[in-house]
Amino acid sequence: MNEGQNGLRGRTVSAADDADRAVLALVTDGQLDALQDLYDRYRTMAYSIALRITTDPSLAEDVVQDAFLGVWRNASRYVEGRGSVKTWLLSIVHHRAVDAVRRRRPTTALPEREDTPPMSLTLPDIWQEVAGNLDRDEIASALRSLTDVQREAIELAYWGGLTQQEIAARTGAPLGTVKSRVRLGLLALRRSLLGSDEGPGDTVVEDGPA
Amino acid sequence: MNEQPMTHDDALDLLALYVLGALAPSDEAAVREHLATCALAHPELEQLGGVVPALLADVDLVEPPAALRDRIMAAARADLVARGGPTATDQAAVEPQPPASAAPAEAPRPFPSVADREARRAARTRRLDWALRIAAIIAIVVVGAGGLLLQRQLDGSQRFDRAVAAVLDAAARPGARAVILAPSEGMQGRGLAAVASDGTVTLAMRDLPATGGTQVYTAWVIVGSTPTSLADFTVDSNGIAAVTTHPAPTQPGAIIALTLEPNAGNAAPKGTIVSTGVTPAAPPAATS
Repeated sequence: MNEGQNGLRGRTVSAADDADRAVLALVTDGQLDALQDLYDRYRTMAYSIALRITTDPSLAEDVVQDAFLGVWRNASRYVEGRGSVKTWLLSIVHHRAVDAVRRRRPTTALPEREDTPPMSLTLPDIWQEVAGNLDRDEIASALRSLTDVQREAIELAYWGGLTQQEIAARTGAPLGTVKSRVRLGLLALRRSLLGSDEGPGDTVVEDGPA
Repeated sequence: MNEQPMTHDDALDLLALYVLGALAPSDEAAVREHLATCALAHPELEQLGGVVPALLADVDLVEPPAALRDRIMAAARADLVARGGPTATDQAAVEPQPPASAAPAEAPRPFPSVADREARRAARTRRLDWALRIAAIIAIVVVGAGGLLLQRQLDGSQRFDRAVAAVLDAAARPGARAVILAPSEGMQGRGLAAVASDGTVTLAMRDLPATGGTQVYTAWVIVGSTPTSLADFTVDSNGIAAVTTHPAPTQPGAIIALTLEPNAGNAAPKGTIVSTGVTPAAPPAATS
């Protein structure tokens, strides 16, 4: 909890990511041992994420298998500089888990997103910069800085796999309100995780001006 | 939804939902299109999108079942074999040899001459056989434990993984032999087959173009230069086939071939050769 924290953590994360990239290079090479290594590093996070989204242990296993086989076949698609291997891998798990639950929910229009990388794959992430070893307590504490409705909207979107329209239907809020809750919630999360006072202060006004 | 491209302001407005993957497909496509073409900066895209991975930590940590590792590793190993690549256990034993996958320059030829080209591959197949057996043992354990999974609708790649597991299962039986099926020149279909001691062939194929109209794929066993039809089957758009044929006479060196036929029931191949492989000699009695 001092100024040195970010720098120190940044180095730790970067060393871990260097190791991950070395393992991933071996995976690209078709080395089974490397895949097993990668699996052992991230199996718990991967399975936990899949389980939270699918709420079905058996489907979560399928999602994790599917994601790791995807990585096995497409490791060469990882682009350095666009986020850590960890984020890339776990984003694939998230993406496939959301696809799996949407497929089970016939009311959701299914986009053709088989080959569409998760958004976060193409974005630099603050995970490395700030939140490399982020644990549940830290993100949970950051989430507490949101209003209940902001947190609900983000969770329905990210963990429920719901679209804007579905969130509106579920919560009874208009589409525009869903939009601003998600936006203000993400901005507040960012402030809280970065621990800086960039942007407006702690007071986040529900449905404030966009 | 709209014919009009999305305005910059409209796109900005939807970025938060976009980075969470929570837009309806038409909106998502419109934002994507805007980002790809708009000359203005979108700093919020990084600001908002950068937060999203942090959300991944918001989970109760739960260990996956230990069997999941075995299942994933067996599937990855089978995938490697199906790609025709070396397996980890195989690598140390491979002596330097010209790249077997070097594209043969000739046009597709009639059946018997394929044997020449496949002869080198046969040697490699024998070595793979041992790795297949190990994979098969894992796969059997894993498939046996995964009864629930089989009831679920499986997507294409999972279907292929299951098909491979069935082949590995068959290949592990006494007297059975494993065959790698490689695509013919200009073709894509590839996969694995197990030839049982009674000549029953279990096939797992992927990347097969879908059949249409009266078209079928026909599996053949070719002993000498005599083809015998094993089975006709169709393939849908996922390109996967899992087929078990009736028994047929076979012998080491027999070619297993897949052709795309204009119709079912042909006694001799009329169509295009899609994929072929050579049945290796009997597997080593014991690995020493």
